[in-house]
Amino acid sequence: MSLKNLPACFILVSVTLFGSSLSAEELNVYFKTTPRIELLRPFADPIDLSLLITGVEGRPVKQGTVAIRLEAPRPGRFFSTDMPLVEGTLLNEMQLPLRQGRANWKQLFPIRGEYRLMVDVVTADGSKASKVLSFAVRENRQKWLALGAFSAGLFILGFVAGRVFTGARAGEVALIAAAVLLGGSAAISNAQQNTPAGPAILEIEPATVGKPSLVRWKLVNDGAADRSAALTLTITHLEKQKVVFAVEKIAVPGEWSMKFNFPDGAEYRVAAVGTISGRTPVRTEEVIAVTGVEPPLGATAPVLSCFVALIAAGLGVGRWTKRRAPALSRPLVS
Amino acid sequence: MEKTVASRLGIAVSERISFLIKSGIFLSVCGATLFFALAASYPAVHDTLHNARHALAVVPCH
Repeated sequence: MSLKNLPACFILVSVTLFGSSLSAEELNVYFKTTPRIELLRPFADPIDLSLLITGVEGRPVKQGTVAIRLEAPRPGRFFSTDMPLVEGTLLNEMQLPLRQGRANWKQLFPIRGEYRLMVDVVTADGSKASKVLSFAVRENRQKWLALGAFSAGLFILGFVAGRVFTGARAGEVALIAAAVLLGGSAAISNAQQNTPAGPAILEIEPATVGKPSLVRWKLVNDGAADRSAALTLTITHLEKQKVVFAVEKIAVPGEWSMKFNFPDGAEYRVAAVGTISGRTPVRTEEVIAVTGVEPPLGATAPVLSCFVALIAAGLGVGRWTKRRAPALSRPLVS
Repeated sequence: MEKTVASRLGIAVSERISFLIKSGIFLSVCGATLFFALAASYPAVHDTLHNARHALAVVPCH
């Protein structure tokens, strides 16, 4: 074989080996959030998420589906978030049809940290593309301020106790009252009446925090030839009155399902509206109570230990300042 | 209180030991209070302090 044919051989082998990945590269996957990623905060307002799939020429893919899998941030090394059972779990798994190359949905991110969004695209002509996207959601600044103020309060409590327990007057004072903890009362939401199923059925698996539940909507088979519908599905956290998930007018062939991880042990309303051409919209609604699960001791112990350690540090500093003061004020004897 | 205990039991402890005992009791009471306020699952406590737990960013809740 002459050296002239060597490059041609390399090209042939490359195309043979990497042919499938080359076809995947023909599709571009763009991801966008509104508001933009830097402004996202956990359990704030629902975020508009958008995927745009284009071909190599930059034009949106006309037809296809996108399989979406959203994973929650992994647990931290020492401190957990306020929802430790959600950490590292599957938040959402669904398949959305592409409309002018786009797939849009709303999602509320429950905790801070780095989320992973896995996207698998299949177009009508069989082209495939996969992409894993990571993005970080930062904690709300007010929560850090509240934590700082609470920690300072614990330290001051220990500081005062340390001064009181030190010296001659120690026995005269009883124990100082423990920290006054402020709490808001949880608003109790009115339970919604489940509407009768009618021409559509909404099925939701019994939901537990940390475990994805199957949410399924389907039209009752009434013998109609065309069962395609435009589905709008909304999941609302009733206590917070926040939309935690929504898709709007997605084209479905009479049935659609997803796995959804309800992030909080509370009541949720799942409402679906199916619009079928030539018929009145079909509304189905369910109110479900999500079973809460106690956080593991591994998540609770570190933070409580830190709080007690802060009080202990305050005690030490309080004692030190009390003992130091008389020493400084003592007159020098010549 | 300290003088009463010392006179009744006939035990006199140093100021340092007294501080350690009182601090130990104080920390135990504080730890128990924090546990009930931030980690207990009793519905009355949990429901009242639910928002406060979430507001502290690192306190786990369900």
